[in-house]
Amino acid sequence: MSSSRDKRHVAPFVGPPWFAAAAWLLGAAVADTTVVHFFAVRDVVPSLVLVAVVWYAIRVDVLRAAVYGLAAGLCEDVLAAQTGAAWTISTIATATLTSVLSRGFFADSIPLVGGVTAIATLVRALLFWTVMSLEGYPGGLGGMHLRQAFVAAALNVAVMIAAMLVVRRFNVREA
Amino acid sequence: MQINAERTKTESPIAIVATSFFGLAETAVAVTVGGVHSAAATVVSLPQLERDNAALRAGNKTLVEENARLHELAAAYAAEAGVRVSVDLYRGIEARVIGFPPENESRSVTIDRGANAGVRRDDGVVATNGVVGRIAAVGPFSSTVVLVTDYTSRIPAVVRRGRWWGIARGNLGSVRMEYVPQDAPLKVSDVIVTGEGRSFHSGVPIGSVTSIERGDSTLYQIAVVKPAVDLGALDRVVVVPR
Repeated sequence: MSSSRDKRHVAPFVGPPWFAAAAWLLGAAVADTTVVHFFAVRDVVPSLVLVAVVWYAIRVDVLRAAVYGLAAGLCEDVLAAQTGAAWTISTIATATLTSVLSRGFFADSIPLVGGVTAIATLVRALLFWTVMSLEGYPGGLGGMHLRQAFVAAALNVAVMIAAMLVVRRFNVREA
Repeated sequence: MQINAERTKTESPIAIVATSFFGLAETAVAVTVGGVHSAAATVVSLPQLERDNAALRAGNKTLVEENARLHELAAAYAAEAGVRVSVDLYRGIEARVIGFPPENESRSVTIDRGANAGVRRDDGVVATNGVVGRIAAVGPFSSTVVLVTDYTSRIPAVVRRGRWWGIARGNLGSVRMEYVPQDAPLKVSDVIVTGEGRSFHSGVPIGSVTSIERGDSTLYQIAVVKPAVDLGALDRVVVVPR
Protein backbone atom coordinates (compact mmCIF):
# COMPACT_ATOMS: atom_id res chain seq x y z
CA MET A 1 0.00 0.00 0.00
CA SER A 2 1.39 3.33 -0.93
CA SER A 3 0.54 6.81 0.10
CA SER A 4 1.25 10.15 -1.49
CA ARG A 5 3.84 10.82 1.20
CA ASP A 6 6.03 7.96 -0.14
CA LYS A 7 6.28 9.48 -3.59
CA ARG A 8 9.37 11.62 -3.88
CA HIS A 9 8.88 14.83 -5.75
CA VAL A 10 11.28 15.00 -8.67
CA ALA A 11 11.60 18.26 -10.56
CA PRO A 12 11.13 17.78 -14.30
CA PHE A 13 14.29 18.14 -16.35
CA VAL A 14 13.83 21.08 -18.71
CA GLY A 15 17.43 21.61 -19.83
CA PRO A 16 18.90 20.74 -23.20
CA PRO A 17 20.26 17.21 -23.85
CA TRP A 18 23.79 16.62 -22.55
CA PHE A 19 25.41 16.44 -25.97
CA ALA A 20 23.90 19.77 -27.00
CA ALA A 21 25.04 21.37 -23.74
CA ALA A 22 28.51 19.88 -24.22
CA ALA A 23 28.68 21.17 -27.78
CA TRP A 24 27.69 24.66 -26.62
CA LEU A 25 30.35 24.54 -23.90
CA LEU A 26 33.05 23.38 -26.31
CA GLY A 27 32.12 26.03 -28.85
CA ALA A 28 32.08 28.72 -26.18
CA ALA A 29 35.51 27.67 -24.85
CA VAL A 30 37.08 27.67 -28.31
CA ALA A 31 35.49 31.01 -29.17
CA ASP A 32 36.70 32.51 -25.88
CA THR A 33 40.31 31.63 -26.71
CA THR A 34 40.25 32.66 -30.35
CA VAL A 35 37.74 35.22 -31.63
CA VAL A 36 36.25 36.81 -28.50
CA HIS A 37 39.65 38.37 -27.82
CA PHE A 38 39.10 40.71 -30.76
CA PHE A 39 35.96 42.17 -29.15
CA ALA A 40 37.67 43.27 -25.94
CA VAL A 41 36.22 46.38 -24.31
CA ARG A 42 38.75 48.24 -22.18
CA ASP A 43 40.90 45.11 -22.13
CA VAL A 44 38.01 43.00 -20.84
CA VAL A 45 36.35 40.21 -22.80
CA PRO A 46 32.93 38.64 -22.29
CA SER A 47 32.95 35.03 -21.12
CA LEU A 48 30.88 32.82 -23.40
CA VAL A 49 31.69 29.88 -21.12
CA LEU A 50 30.09 31.63 -18.14
CA VAL A 51 27.07 32.57 -20.25
CA ALA A 52 26.71 28.89 -21.25
CA VAL A 53 27.05 27.79 -17.62
CA VAL A 54 24.40 30.25 -16.40
CA TRP A 55 22.13 29.35 -19.31
CA TYR A 56 22.35 25.66 -18.40
CA ALA A 57 22.33 26.05 -14.63
CA ILE A 58 19.08 28.01 -14.48
CA ARG A 59 17.31 25.18 -16.30
CA VAL A 60 18.55 22.14 -14.40
CA ASP A 61 18.90 20.82 -10.87
CA VAL A 62 21.87 21.61 -8.65
CA LEU A 63 23.76 18.38 -9.33
CA ARG A 64 23.63 18.73 -13.09
CA ALA A 65 24.60 22.39 -12.80
CA ALA A 66 27.60 21.50 -10.63
CA VAL A 67 28.78 18.84 -13.08
CA TYR A 68 28.43 21.30 -15.96
CA GLY A 69 30.34 23.89 -13.93
CA LEU A 70 33.07 21.31 -13.30
CA ALA A 71 33.45 20.61 -17.01
CA ALA A 72 33.44 24.31 -17.88
CA GLY A 73 35.95 25.22 -15.18
CA LEU A 74 38.27 22.39 -16.18
CA CYS A 75 38.17 23.59 -19.78
CA GLU A 76 39.15 27.10 -18.72
CA ASP A 77 41.91 25.96 -16.39
CA VAL A 78 43.38 23.77 -19.11
CA LEU A 79 43.25 26.61 -21.63
CA ALA A 80 44.56 29.26 -19.23
CA ALA A 81 47.47 26.98 -18.21
CA GLN A 82 48.59 28.83 -15.08
CA THR A 83 45.45 29.15 -12.99
CA GLY A 84 45.67 25.79 -11.23
CA ALA A 85 42.12 24.88 -10.23
CA ALA A 86 40.87 28.42 -9.74
CA TRP A 87 38.43 28.39 -12.65
CA THR A 88 37.23 24.89 -11.78
CA ILE A 89 36.40 25.71 -8.18
CA SER A 90 34.92 29.11 -8.91
CA THR A 91 32.80 27.85 -11.82
CA ILE A 92 31.41 24.87 -9.87
CA ALA A 93 30.40 27.19 -7.05
CA THR A 94 28.92 29.71 -9.46
CA ALA A 95 26.91 27.06 -11.33
CA THR A 96 25.61 25.67 -8.03
CA LEU A 97 24.66 29.11 -6.77
CA THR A 98 22.93 29.96 -10.06
CA SER A 99 20.96 26.74 -10.01
CA VAL A 100 19.85 27.35 -6.41
CA LEU A 101 18.87 30.95 -7.20
CA SER A 102 16.92 29.96 -10.29
CA ARG A 103 14.55 27.67 -8.35
CA GLY A 104 12.49 30.74 -7.62
CA PHE A 105 12.02 32.36 -11.02
CA PHE A 106 11.09 31.72 -14.59
CA ALA A 107 14.18 30.98 -16.68
CA ASP A 108 12.98 32.98 -19.67
CA SER A 109 12.67 36.35 -17.94
CA ILE A 110 15.31 38.60 -19.48
CA PRO A 111 15.75 40.99 -16.51
CA LEU A 112 16.03 38.15 -14.01
CA VAL A 113 18.43 36.09 -16.10
CA GLY A 114 20.46 39.24 -16.82
CA GLY A 115 20.65 39.97 -13.09
CA VAL A 116 21.69 36.41 -12.28
CA THR A 117 24.37 36.59 -15.00
CA ALA A 118 25.81 39.75 -13.45
CA ILE A 119 25.80 38.22 -9.97
CA ALA A 120 27.37 35.01 -11.31
CA THR A 121 30.16 36.98 -13.02
CA LEU A 122 31.03 38.93 -9.89
CA VAL A 123 30.81 35.90 -7.58
CA ARG A 124 32.97 33.85 -9.91
CA ALA A 125 35.58 36.61 -10.15
CA LEU A 126 35.66 36.92 -6.36
CA LEU A 127 36.06 33.16 -5.92
CA PHE A 128 38.63 32.95 -8.71
CA TRP A 129 40.94 35.55 -7.21
CA THR A 130 40.44 34.08 -3.74
CA VAL A 131 41.59 30.67 -4.99
CA MET A 132 44.42 32.32 -6.94
CA SER A 133 45.64 34.02 -3.77
CA LEU A 134 45.51 30.64 -2.00
CA GLU A 135 47.64 29.28 -4.85
CA GLY A 136 50.30 31.89 -4.15
CA TYR A 137 49.33 34.89 -6.21
CA PRO A 138 49.44 38.32 -4.54
CA GLY A 139 46.21 39.02 -2.71
CA GLY A 140 45.92 42.48 -4.25
CA LEU A 141 45.42 41.11 -7.75
CA GLY A 142 41.71 40.59 -7.10
CA GLY A 143 41.33 44.25 -6.14
CA MET A 144 43.27 45.27 -9.24
CA HIS A 145 40.77 43.31 -11.36
CA LEU A 146 37.66 44.73 -9.65
CA ARG A 147 36.97 47.19 -12.46
CA GLN A 148 37.47 44.39 -14.99
CA ALA A 149 34.94 42.26 -13.11
CA PHE A 150 32.26 44.96 -13.35
CA VAL A 151 32.95 45.52 -17.06
CA ALA A 152 32.89 41.73 -17.62
CA ALA A 153 29.56 41.52 -15.79
CA ALA A 154 28.07 44.16 -18.10
CA LEU A 155 29.45 42.40 -21.18
CA ASN A 156 28.19 38.99 -20.06
CA VAL A 157 24.73 40.41 -19.38
CA ALA A 158 24.72 41.94 -22.87
CA VAL A 159 25.73 38.63 -24.46
CA MET A 160 23.12 36.74 -22.44
CA ILE A 161 20.34 39.16 -23.40
CA ALA A 162 21.37 39.00 -27.06
CA ALA A 163 21.38 35.18 -26.93
CA MET A 164 17.95 35.11 -25.27
CA LEU A 165 16.50 37.48 -27.87
CA VAL A 166 17.91 35.36 -30.71
CA VAL A 167 16.54 32.15 -29.20
CA ARG A 168 13.18 33.82 -28.59
CA ARG A 169 13.03 34.90 -32.24
CA PHE A 170 13.75 31.33 -33.40
CA ASN A 171 11.12 29.95 -31.03
CA VAL A 172 8.52 32.38 -32.39
CA ARG A 173 9.35 31.32 -35.96
CA GLU A 174 9.09 27.63 -35.09
CA ALA A 175 5.74 28.23 -33.39
CA MET B 1 42.32 98.05 -109.33
CA GLN B 2 43.25 94.43 -109.77
CA ILE B 3 45.43 95.11 -112.84
CA ASN B 4 47.06 98.05 -111.18
CA ALA B 5 47.74 96.00 -108.10
CA GLU B 6 49.31 93.29 -110.25
CA ARG B 7 51.48 95.80 -111.97
CA THR B 8 52.64 97.52 -108.82
CA LYS B 9 52.86 94.23 -106.88
CA THR B 10 50.61 95.50 -104.12
CA GLU B 11 47.41 94.15 -102.64
CA SER B 12 44.24 95.49 -104.20
CA PRO B 13 41.52 96.70 -101.86
CA ILE B 14 39.09 94.27 -103.51
CA ALA B 15 41.41 91.39 -102.81
CA ILE B 16 41.95 92.54 -99.27
CA VAL B 17 38.22 92.81 -98.61
CA ALA B 18 37.50 89.53 -100.35
CA THR B 19 40.23 87.57 -98.65
CA SER B 20 39.20 89.02 -95.31
CA PHE B 21 35.61 88.07 -95.93
CA PHE B 22 36.43 84.62 -97.18
CA GLY B 23 38.89 84.13 -94.40
CA LEU B 24 36.27 84.94 -91.81
CA ALA B 25 33.70 82.86 -93.62
CA GLU B 26 36.06 79.90 -93.89
CA THR B 27 36.91 80.22 -90.24
CA ALA B 28 33.25 80.32 -89.28
CA VAL B 29 32.44 77.34 -91.47
CA ALA B 30 35.48 75.43 -90.27
CA VAL B 31 34.60 76.04 -86.66
CA THR B 32 30.98 75.07 -87.22
CA VAL B 33 31.82 71.99 -89.23
CA GLY B 34 34.50 71.01 -86.74
CA GLY B 35 32.05 71.38 -83.86
CA VAL B 36 29.35 69.43 -85.65
CA HIS B 37 31.87 66.78 -86.65
CA SER B 38 33.20 66.45 -83.17
CA ALA B 39 29.68 66.38 -81.71
CA ALA B 40 28.65 63.77 -84.24
CA ALA B 41 31.79 61.80 -83.51
CA THR B 42 31.08 62.03 -79.82
CA VAL B 43 27.53 60.83 -80.26
CA VAL B 44 28.65 58.06 -82.52
CA SER B 45 31.47 56.98 -80.20
CA LEU B 46 29.51 57.30 -76.91
CA PRO B 47 28.89 53.58 -76.49
CA GLN B 48 32.56 52.94 -77.21
CA LEU B 49 33.50 55.56 -74.60
CA GLU B 50 31.23 53.91 -72.10
CA ARG B 51 32.85 50.58 -72.84
CA ASP B 52 36.32 52.12 -72.54
CA ASN B 53 35.31 53.80 -69.30
CA ALA B 54 33.97 50.55 -67.88
CA ALA B 55 37.12 48.74 -68.97
CA LEU B 56 39.30 51.39 -67.37
CA ARG B 57 37.27 51.26 -64.15
CA ALA B 58 37.57 47.49 -64.07
CA GLY B 59 41.29 47.77 -64.74
CA ASN B 60 41.64 50.35 -61.99
CA LYS B 61 39.75 48.14 -59.54
CA THR B 62 42.00 45.21 -60.40
CA LEU B 63 45.08 47.35 -59.93
CA VAL B 64 43.85 48.64 -56.56
CA GLU B 65 43.16 45.09 -55.39
CA GLU B 66 46.51 43.90 -56.66
CA ASN B 67 48.21 46.84 -54.95
CA ALA B 68 46.56 45.96 -51.64
CA ARG B 69 47.53 42.31 -52.05
CA LEU B 70 51.13 43.25 -52.85
CA HIS B 71 51.23 45.54 -49.81
CA GLU B 72 50.01 42.65 -47.68
CA LEU B 73 52.58 40.32 -49.22
CA ALA B 74 55.32 42.87 -48.63
CA ALA B 75 54.31 43.23 -44.98
CA ALA B 76 54.14 39.45 -44.58
CA TYR B 77 57.52 39.11 -46.25
CA ALA B 78 59.02 41.72 -43.93
CA ALA B 79 57.58 39.91 -40.91
CA GLU B 80 58.81 36.58 -42.26
CA ALA B 81 62.27 38.03 -42.89
CA GLY B 82 62.38 39.45 -39.37
CA VAL B 83 61.35 36.13 -37.86
CA ARG B 84 63.87 34.31 -40.07
CA VAL B 85 66.63 36.54 -38.69
CA SER B 86 65.59 35.65 -35.13
CA VAL B 87 65.36 31.95 -36.01
CA ASP B 88 68.87 32.00 -37.46
CA LEU B 89 70.27 34.19 -34.70
CA TYR B 90 68.95 32.17 -31.78
CA ARG B 91 68.62 28.82 -33.57
CA GLY B 92 65.02 29.06 -32.47
CA ILE B 93 61.74 27.39 -33.28
CA GLU B 94 59.35 29.43 -35.36
CA ALA B 95 55.78 29.47 -34.06
CA ARG B 96 52.48 31.17 -34.66
CA VAL B 97 50.10 32.59 -32.05
CA ILE B 98 46.85 30.61 -32.11
CA GLY B 99 45.02 31.47 -28.90
CA PHE B 100 44.51 33.78 -25.97
CA PRO B 101 43.55 33.24 -22.31
CA PRO B 102 39.82 32.51 -22.06
CA GLU B 103 38.98 35.31 -19.62
CA ASN B 104 41.92 37.64 -20.26
CA GLU B 105 42.79 37.24 -16.59
CA SER B 106 46.46 36.82 -17.44
CA ARG B 107 48.76 38.16 -20.12
CA SER B 108 49.50 35.01 -22.07
CA VAL B 109 49.09 33.50 -25.53
CA THR B 110 49.03 30.00 -26.96
CA ILE B 111 51.44 29.07 -29.76
CA ASP B 112 51.23 26.20 -32.23
CA ARG B 113 54.47 24.47 -31.24
CA GLY B 114 54.80 22.08 -28.34
CA ALA B 115 57.01 19.37 -26.94
CA ASN B 116 56.99 17.51 -30.26
CA ALA B 117 58.71 20.49 -31.86
CA GLY B 118 61.28 20.70 -29.06
CA VAL B 119 59.69 23.43 -26.95
CA ARG B 120 60.41 23.17 -23.23
CA ARG B 121 59.12 24.92 -20.15
CA ASP B 122 60.91 28.23 -19.38
CA ASP B 123 62.23 28.64 -22.92
CA GLY B 124 62.32 32.29 -23.93
CA VAL B 125 60.07 33.63 -26.68
CA VAL B 126 61.03 36.58 -28.88
CA ALA B 127 59.56 38.43 -31.85
CA THR B 128 61.27 40.59 -34.45
CA ASN B 129 61.62 43.59 -32.13
CA GLY B 130 62.43 41.92 -28.83
CA VAL B 131 61.20 39.89 -25.89
CA VAL B 132 57.69 38.40 -25.91
CA GLY B 133 57.76 36.20 -22.79
CA ARG B 134 58.59 32.71 -21.61
CA ILE B 135 57.02 29.28 -21.98
CA ALA B 136 54.85 28.48 -18.95
CA ALA B 137 53.18 25.23 -20.02
CA VAL B 138 53.96 22.76 -22.77
CA GLY B 139 51.59 20.36 -24.49
CA PRO B 140 52.46 17.95 -27.29
CA PHE B 141 51.31 20.30 -30.03
CA SER B 142 50.97 23.69 -28.37
CA SER B 143 52.45 25.77 -25.57
CA THR B 144 51.40 28.66 -23.39
CA VAL B 145 53.59 31.76 -23.36
CA VAL B 146 53.40 34.09 -20.37
CA LEU B 147 53.94 37.56 -21.78
CA VAL B 148 56.53 39.93 -20.37
CA THR B 149 53.67 42.16 -19.14
CA ASP B 150 52.04 39.42 -17.05
CA TYR B 151 52.11 40.01 -13.33
CA THR B 152 54.03 36.75 -12.77
CA SER B 153 56.77 37.56 -15.28
CA ARG B 154 60.23 38.33 -13.89
CA ILE B 155 63.23 38.80 -16.20
CA PRO B 156 66.75 39.94 -15.31
CA ALA B 157 67.20 43.23 -17.13
CA VAL B 158 70.01 45.64 -17.93
CA VAL B 159 70.02 49.27 -19.05
CA ARG B 160 71.91 49.10 -22.32
CA ARG B 161 73.51 52.54 -21.94
CA GLY B 162 75.13 51.95 -18.59
CA ARG B 163 74.83 48.26 -17.69
CA TRP B 164 72.77 48.93 -14.56
CA TRP B 165 70.94 45.82 -13.50
CA GLY B 166 67.39 45.33 -12.32
CA ILE B 167 64.42 42.98 -12.52
CA ALA B 168 61.80 43.55 -15.24
CA ARG B 169 58.43 42.69 -13.70
CA GLY B 170 55.17 42.56 -15.62
CA ASN B 171 52.60 45.16 -14.66
CA LEU B 172 49.67 44.23 -16.93
CA GLY B 173 49.94 47.03 -19.50
CA SER B 174 53.62 47.78 -19.07
CA VAL B 175 56.83 46.47 -17.51
CA ARG B 176 58.44 47.86 -14.37
CA MET B 177 62.19 47.56 -14.00
CA GLU B 178 62.74 47.34 -10.26
CA TYR B 179 65.76 47.24 -7.97
CA VAL B 180 67.78 49.70 -10.05
CA PRO B 181 70.26 51.48 -7.73
CA GLN B 182 69.39 55.09 -6.87
CA ASP B 183 72.72 56.35 -8.23
CA ALA B 184 72.06 55.00 -11.73
CA PRO B 185 71.38 58.06 -13.94
CA LEU B 186 68.42 56.61 -15.80
CA LYS B 187 66.85 58.64 -18.57
CA VAL B 188 63.55 58.45 -20.39
CA SER B 189 63.97 56.48 -23.67
CA ASP B 190 66.84 54.40 -22.31
CA VAL B 191 66.72 50.94 -23.88
CA ILE B 192 66.31 47.99 -21.51
CA VAL B 193 67.64 44.61 -22.61
CA THR B 194 67.70 41.15 -21.07
CA GLY B 195 70.49 40.06 -18.80
CA GLU B 196 71.83 36.53 -18.95
CA GLY B 197 69.18 34.40 -17.28
CA ARG B 198 67.22 31.19 -17.27
CA SER B 199 65.10 31.97 -20.32
CA PHE B 200 67.10 34.49 -22.33
CA HIS B 201 70.63 35.26 -23.40
CA SER B 202 71.76 38.80 -22.75
CA GLY B 203 71.04 41.69 -25.08
CA VAL B 204 67.50 41.02 -26.30
CA PRO B 205 65.48 44.29 -26.16
CA ILE B 206 62.69 44.36 -23.59
CA GLY B 207 61.59 47.93 -24.22
CA SER B 208 62.34 51.58 -23.57
CA VAL B 209 61.92 53.68 -20.44
CA THR B 210 58.87 55.95 -20.47
CA SER B 211 59.05 57.28 -16.91
CA ILE B 212 61.17 56.95 -13.78
CA GLU B 213 59.93 56.69 -10.19
CA ARG B 214 62.49 57.86 -7.62
CA GLY B 215 61.61 57.93 -3.93
CA ASP B 216 63.55 59.94 -1.36
CA SER B 217 63.48 57.19 1.22
CA THR B 218 64.04 54.14 -0.95
CA LEU B 219 67.20 52.31 -1.90
CA TYR B 220 66.13 51.68 -5.45
CA GLN B 221 64.41 53.45 -8.32
CA ILE B 222 61.85 52.03 -10.71
CA ALA B 223 61.75 52.52 -14.46
CA VAL B 224 58.43 52.10 -16.24
CA VAL B 225 59.19 50.41 -19.54
CA LYS B 226 57.12 50.28 -22.72
CA PRO B 227 57.58 46.82 -24.30
CA ALA B 228 59.53 46.76 -27.56
CA VAL B 229 57.07 44.31 -29.07
CA ASP B 230 53.43 45.18 -29.75
CA LEU B 231 52.05 42.40 -27.56
CA GLY B 232 48.48 43.11 -28.63
CA ALA B 233 49.23 42.24 -32.24
CA LEU B 234 51.39 39.14 -31.99
CA ASP B 235 51.43 36.77 -34.92
CA ARG B 236 54.75 35.03 -35.51
CA VAL B 237 57.23 34.43 -32.72
CA VAL B 238 60.41 32.45 -32.15
CA VAL B 239 60.98 30.11 -29.23
CA VAL B 240 64.57 30.36 -28.05
CA PRO B 241 65.74 27.02 -26.62
CA ARG B 242 67.69 27.26 -23.41
